[in-house]
Amino acid sequence: MAARPLSLTRRLMAMVLGFVLAAWLVTALVAWFTTEHELSELLDAHLAQTTALLLASELDVPVEDDARPAPVLLRKYQSRVAFQIWRDGRLRARSTDAPEEPLAPAGVQGLSEQRLAGKRWRVFTAEQADARGSAITVHVAEQLSARRHVLLASLRGTLLPLLLVLPLLAVGVGWTVRRALRPLHALGHRVAARSPRALDALPQDGVPAEVQPLVHALNGLLGRVAEQVAGERRFTADAAHELRTPIAAIRMQAQVAQGATQDEERRAALDATIAGCDRATRLVDQLLQLARLEADAVDTQPAAGRDIPTDLTAVAARLVRELSDAARARGQQIRLECPPRPVDVPMSAALTAVLLRNLLDNALRYGPDGGTVAVQLLPAQATHGVRLCVEDAGPGLSDADLARLGERFFRVLGSGQSGSGLGWSIVRRLARLHALQLHIDRSPALGGLRVTVDWPRA
Amino acid sequence: MRVLLAEDDELLGSGLRAGLRQHGFAVDWVRDGVAAERELLTGQHAVAVLDLGLPRQDGMDALAAVRAKGARTPVVVLTARDAIGARIQGLDSGADDYLVKPVDLGELAARLRALVRRAHGAADTRLTLGEVTLDPAARQVWRGDQPVVLSLREFDLLHAFMRQAGRVLTREQLEQQLYAWGSEVSSNAVEVHIHNLRRKLGGGLIETVRGVGYVARRPPT
Repeated sequence: MAARPLSLTRRLMAMVLGFVLAAWLVTALVAWFTTEHELSELLDAHLAQTTALLLASELDVPVEDDARPAPVLLRKYQSRVAFQIWRDGRLRARSTDAPEEPLAPAGVQGLSEQRLAGKRWRVFTAEQADARGSAITVHVAEQLSARRHVLLASLRGTLLPLLLVLPLLAVGVGWTVRRALRPLHALGHRVAARSPRALDALPQDGVPAEVQPLVHALNGLLGRVAEQVAGERRFTADAAHELRTPIAAIRMQAQVAQGATQDEERRAALDATIAGCDRATRLVDQLLQLARLEADAVDTQPAAGRDIPTDLTAVAARLVRELSDAARARGQQIRLECPPRPVDVPMSAALTAVLLRNLLDNALRYGPDGGTVAVQLLPAQATHGVRLCVEDAGPGLSDADLARLGERFFRVLGSGQSGSGLGWSIVRRLARLHALQLHIDRSPALGGLRVTVDWPRA
Repeated sequence: MRVLLAEDDELLGSGLRAGLRQHGFAVDWVRDGVAAERELLTGQHAVAVLDLGLPRQDGMDALAAVRAKGARTPVVVLTARDAIGARIQGLDSGADDYLVKPVDLGELAARLRALVRRAHGAADTRLTLGEVTLDPAARQVWRGDQPVVLSLREFDLLHAFMRQAGRVLTREQLEQQLYAWGSEVSSNAVEVHIHNLRRKLGGGLIETVRGVGYVARRPPT
C-alpha cells in the first residue's frame, strides 16, 4: 500500500491544536499551584482566627457550663470542619461531627496535619491558662478534602470554558488553513486542466509568495519540455524531408532504368538506384544514431553511470582497418599515429566508435581522391586528458560554413558529396553529452580540415 | 523541347536528366540558385523544373526574382517541402505547378507538356496547322489521316513551329529551343531538318523569311 500523502492541512491543524492544548495545560498547572497556595494561606489564616476567637470566648465562660454542642452555623461543610475546646484534659465543647479524642496530640501547637478516623485534617491548636489556672486547649480543624473541593471548583470555573472553546478553535483553525491553502488548490486545478500540448508558462500573478518558487520551477520545466518537443518535431520534419530526396532519386533512377532502351543507359540507372539505396540506408542509420543520442540526453545523467573506460587506440585501429578498403577505392590512405600503450577514455566503446567513424567518414568523404587522412592520438599535456586529431587534405571550410557546421542537415554545398549533414550533428551531440572539447581549424600539415577532440581527464 | 533543371542533388539530378531525355526533352541542368536565376532570365527554355533547397540561393528566391523581372517561363517546383504553407508560398512566388518528392517520371513529363501547352494558350493537347496534326504526349504527327514518321529533331522542330505558329523564328532561336548545352550542332542542321520536314509534310507548311528566318503560317480560314 502506498504511504498516505502528507496533508498540509492536517499537519497544520495538528500542530496548532497541539500547541494550544499544551499552552492550556501549562496554564492549568500554574493556576492549580498558585490557587492552592493562596487558598491554603487564606484558609489557614481563618483557622488561626477562629481558634483565637474560641479561645478568647472560653476564657470568659463560667466553669459550670458543661460541654455543649456548638450552634449549627455551617451547612455544606459542616461535616468537614470541626472544633474542640479542652479544659484541663476534659472536653468542654465540640462541634457536632467532631471526634471525641483530641484533634491533635498533646504538645502540638499551631498548624499541623493529622489523620483521624481515616480522614486527613488541617488543625490549628492554641493553648492558654485562664484566670483560675486551668489549661485551655482549642483545636479548630478542617478536612483537607474540603480544601481540594474548593480548589477544583474554582479551577473548573476558570478552565472549563477553555475546554469548550477547544473544538471551536479546531474548526476555526481548519477553516483558516484550508482557506489559506486555497491558491494552492487553484494552482493544482489549473495545472490539471491543462492540455498536454499547452507548454506555455503558468501565470505568476495571484500566486502566494510561498508557492512562487514552485511555479517558477514548473515554468522552467515547461520551458525545457517545450524546447525538447519543438526540437523533436523539427527533427522528425527534417528527417522526413531529408529522406524524400534520396527516395525521389531512387524512384527516378528506377523509372529511367525501366524506360531505358540501351543496356548502358539501363546499367547506369540501376547503379545509381543502388547508390541511392546506400545513401538512404546511411541516412537512416545516422538518424537512428542521433535519435538514440537524443534519447540518452533525455535521461538525466546518461554519461556518468554507464561509462566504461574504452581503449581509444583499439577502437581507432579497428575503424581504420574497416574503412581502409573503401578509402583505397578512391586512392586515399588513412595514417594512424598513436602511442604503443592503451589510451583510456571515459566513454563506452560503441559511442567512441560512432564518434570516430563519423569523423573519419567526413574526412574521407570531403578529402580529395588520392589524399591522406591522418588520425593522431596523443595525451593532452594541459588537461591531462586525451586528444584526438583527424586531419584531411580536402578543401576545408569557409568561416561561414564553420559557423553552421553541426546544424542538423547542414552540408557544405557544391562539395559534390551526397552526405546528409548528420555526421556533424552526431559528433557535436556526443561531445555535449560527454563534455568533450571540439575544435575545428585548418590542418597545417595536409591543408584541409583538422578536427581536434579533447577528452577530459579520465 | 528544352527544359531547365535546377537540382543540387547529384543522384536525383542525373535521374531527372536521363528520365526527361527519355520523354523527349532536351535538359539543361544547373546545380545552384544563382545559375537557375541566370538561365531562367535568358528565356531559352520552354519550361523549368526547380528544386527549392538550392545552394547559393533558395529556389523560391530565384523564382521570385525572375518573376519580378518579367520572365514568363513556366516553372514546376519540385521539392521535399510538403507543408501547405510552403505550397502556397511556392505558387504565390510564381510557380506554375508544385510537386512534392518523390515524383513519378511520367507524371512530371505530362505536367511539363501541359504547362508548355498552356503557356501557348492552347487547351487542346493536339496542335493542328493546316492538314498537319501533332500530339506532343504521344510524339506523333499526322498529315491528314496518315501518320508521318519524324526523327527526334524533326519532331522537336515541328513542335516549335506549331507552338509558335505565325511567329518568325531565327535560326539561333530554333537552335536554342532545340538543343541542350554541349550538343554538337552543325551550322546547317536546322536547314537540313526543315528540308526534311518540307519533304515529308509538304512545302507550304514552313515558309522562309529571307534574311530573318522561318515561319509556319496559319492558313486563312
